[in-house]
Amino acid sequence: MILHSLKSGFAQVRANKRMVAVFYLANLCFGLLLLLPLRSILKSFAGNSQMAAKLGGPLDMDFLIEFFKYTDGVVPAFMGLILIVPAANWLFTLLLSGGAFATFAGGEKYNAAFFWGNSAKYFGRFVRLTLWSLPVFAVLFCLQYLETGVQRLIFGSDPYQNLTYWGGWIKIGLRQIGFLLFAMILDYARIHAVLTDERKMRTSLLQGLKFVFGNFLYTFGLALLLLLVGAVALVIYNPIANSLAAPNALIVIMLFVWQQVYMVFRTLLRLTTYASQLDLYHQRAGEPAPAAITSTGEQPMEGLAPAA
Amino acid sequence: MLHGNETLKWFNKSGDTITELQFHLYLNAFRNHKSTFMKESGGVSRGNKIDKDGWGFIEVNKITLTSGDDLTGGMEFIQPDDGNPDDKTVFRLPLPQPLKPNDSIIVHIDFTGKLPQPPFARTGAKKEYFFVAQWFPKIGVYIDGKWNCHQFHANSEFFADYGVYNVRMTVPEKNILGATGLEVEKKNNGDGTATHFYHAEDVHDFAWTTSPEFIEFKDNTQDVDIRVLMQPDHADQGPRHVEAAKAAVEYFQNWYGDYPFPNLTVVDPRRGAGGSGGMEYPTLITAGTSYGMPEGLRAVELVIIHEFGHNFWYHLLASNEFEESWMDEGINTYTEIQIMNDKYGPIGDAINLLGIKINDLQFQRGQYAFFPDFDPIMRKAWEFYGGNSYGANSYAKPGVLLTTLQNHLGREKMQQAMRTYVERWRFKHPKSRDFFNVINEVAGEDLNWFFDQAFYSNAILDYSVDRVFSREIKKVEGYDFTLSVARPDSGMTNGTSHSGDSIAAKGKPKMYESGVDVRRLGAFKFPVEIVATFEGGEKVREKWDGQDFWKKIRYTKPNKLVSATVDPDNKIPLDLNYTNNSKAVEGSSLGVNKLSVRWLFWMQFLLDQPEFMNLFSAINF
Repeated sequence: MILHSLKSGFAQVRANKRMVAVFYLANLCFGLLLLLPLRSILKSFAGNSQMAAKLGGPLDMDFLIEFFKYTDGVVPAFMGLILIVPAANWLFTLLLSGGAFATFAGGEKYNAAFFWGNSAKYFGRFVRLTLWSLPVFAVLFCLQYLETGVQRLIFGSDPYQNLTYWGGWIKIGLRQIGFLLFAMILDYARIHAVLTDERKMRTSLLQGLKFVFGNFLYTFGLALLLLLVGAVALVIYNPIANSLAAPNALIVIMLFVWQQVYMVFRTLLRLTTYASQLDLYHQRAGEPAPAAITSTGEQPMEGLAPAA
Repeated sequence: MLHGNETLKWFNKSGDTITELQFHLYLNAFRNHKSTFMKESGGVSRGNKIDKDGWGFIEVNKITLTSGDDLTGGMEFIQPDDGNPDDKTVFRLPLPQPLKPNDSIIVHIDFTGKLPQPPFARTGAKKEYFFVAQWFPKIGVYIDGKWNCHQFHANSEFFADYGVYNVRMTVPEKNILGATGLEVEKKNNGDGTATHFYHAEDVHDFAWTTSPEFIEFKDNTQDVDIRVLMQPDHADQGPRHVEAAKAAVEYFQNWYGDYPFPNLTVVDPRRGAGGSGGMEYPTLITAGTSYGMPEGLRAVELVIIHEFGHNFWYHLLASNEFEESWMDEGINTYTEIQIMNDKYGPIGDAINLLGIKINDLQFQRGQYAFFPDFDPIMRKAWEFYGGNSYGANSYAKPGVLLTTLQNHLGREKMQQAMRTYVERWRFKHPKSRDFFNVINEVAGEDLNWFFDQAFYSNAILDYSVDRVFSREIKKVEGYDFTLSVARPDSGMTNGTSHSGDSIAAKGKPKMYESGVDVRRLGAFKFPVEIVATFEGGEKVREKWDGQDFWKKIRYTKPNKLVSATVDPDNKIPLDLNYTNNSKAVEGSSLGVNKLSVRWLFWMQFLLDQPEFMNLFSAINF
């Protein structure tokens, strides 16, 4: 069942290359939004120095110290940016997710009006869904403290460092599982909202929770499989990226291309996750065809039932 | 609690008649919030705090002479540094009879102490682990016709005179004990306790540690017995500690002279007892690690090399750390930089992990760079602007500037000077000028111009390539004076000029006028080299004494100037800004682009986290 969902999801994503491009370009644009001010500071500080040329090689500690020392007034402003841009990026991807789920739910090929219309349609609901989900996030975030509790229970308040060290890794693992579960719950809640045109987001959240834990082996298995694929991709990506270190224009271009190939793959993976989860939801929940997925909320799309 | 009986035999080796003794009671720094130490530190030392019920103290119960005279009533707390009446870390003891030169006196002191918990400012206890330092009433140093017995300050270590210590320590029988000197005897008392008897000669302090959990590792190098006492959860790093200690002993003996003691004990502090880590006592040092410390993170090696180094500068030479802290910490940082680089360098000698390579010198330079001019190095430890300035001026800046001096003199000569300094001043409490004089003598030149700027001023050293240019020389425009005088019929007419002769006549190679303008941005003057690089790879090396504010160099060459670099071999780590040390005529964005591309990826990666997890990543960033 998991493999079926995965195959189905991948096929849907392959049929929606433009959507992949939209997600990827959004990521690239927000990345550039963060990068460009920093690059400008870097360029103006390093100028025409030999140090600037050396930046093509491994990062130089002396340069890093001097960069922070002599641009200390600029760094706090950048730190502000580093909070604002991710927040904007999150809202934007939340917006895009409505279009993506609706497109996959309708079995459609990417159509700009359909995609953006549904993005807009579900954006408000998804924001509300996120707000409703905060308590769930808090609970799942606290999952990691299970380790602290168990450790204290068994080893007391002063355990040896080897225990706290490995316990620390377990804690990180639990935190990541918590994050993963949360992402899964939100995804299935959004799927429920799109498929049923549910407007009460606490209902969708509840349905998402029920579905994730009611079909835990499948939902978690699928998510874990996709996560592992991502991890393997990172393992492949890293050494190649690190080897592209020579201060040479061609190498810099190759590095950029390789990085973007990896980012496109991540985008593919994210959208495959959406589509596969939707397929799994169809299989396990047996939901009827989408009730109302329209481009603007006024015009029903071809092949879909009009809004009730 | 500590119960102690001290018998002190003190020799008056001065030419003065002494009417009083002065003692340190260091543990009283941890008595309450009102001590000078606590006021200066705000109750935090190296990130550690004393527990609510963990205050430490020391009480002198009774002081008597061998004759039976009770001097306890004459004790008077004094505060020679800041007049804080609540500070009880120094007391004076008037003597019933003046002590003439070359006479001695025996004083018996009965005292009770409590160590801070957890270990704080180098001493204390945590559960079964004890690190016992600054623990007994300690005589001050009578020097230059007066007592030198400073209060315990937050930004200061110690100053003491040499002596012979015979110490008996009674601890639980199952405990393992390490201490300054050598164990002469261990006697089980039959009541679950054992008394360890340690003897140490020519040392100026005595510290010890005990814990039932220590795991011992032993080795020997160059006739020095090495004993490492590890915590059970760090036992796998025992061999690593031993190797680092062996390297430290070997490097110091090979480079700086004989370590005249038979042994060295390295103590690994217990978890939660980091306040006792990274500290030096005669023949006994503490390190500090954590479980899982990667090999490429050479904190263990660095700390052990550093702390063992103190056994030369703090112990063998025993300068006054209250008044000239750089003479221990600074010289020691310099030697640590050299040894780390020789042993683990040349690149990544401190960190060589996951592609990140950082040298110890770079760390030190970084620490100094952020606090380069708050104070001159020459200040009493507690008179620095703050802890950061004390750290920069006592550790990092002297380390960096002595490395600069080494690059100026050459490594051989600097090592010879350091060796001479050690040989000449061992056991004699040298002062800064004594060090400078030795360097001047061995270098064969008067380097006081350097020492005066480096140690007695807060002058900054920063050279910069301000401007570089290269332009083709085309033709002379305007009147050619020589031609007009020599050839009145050369075609010139009143009020007009001809177009001029081409200097680069047809068929001759092009010529370029190039220029390099270098500026000294700081007040620190230091001779420096400048390299101008031309097309075709030609390099022209110039020397500048740095005395003026700037230097302009001009070239007329058939090749264009490509770039200029001041201090091209990075011989002057004291230079605060390397980035402005060079300039290219035509800049390349390649390096900036490469770094930007890397940054772009990490930003994209961060942004790509699901949902608002990217905000978490941003906060963690």
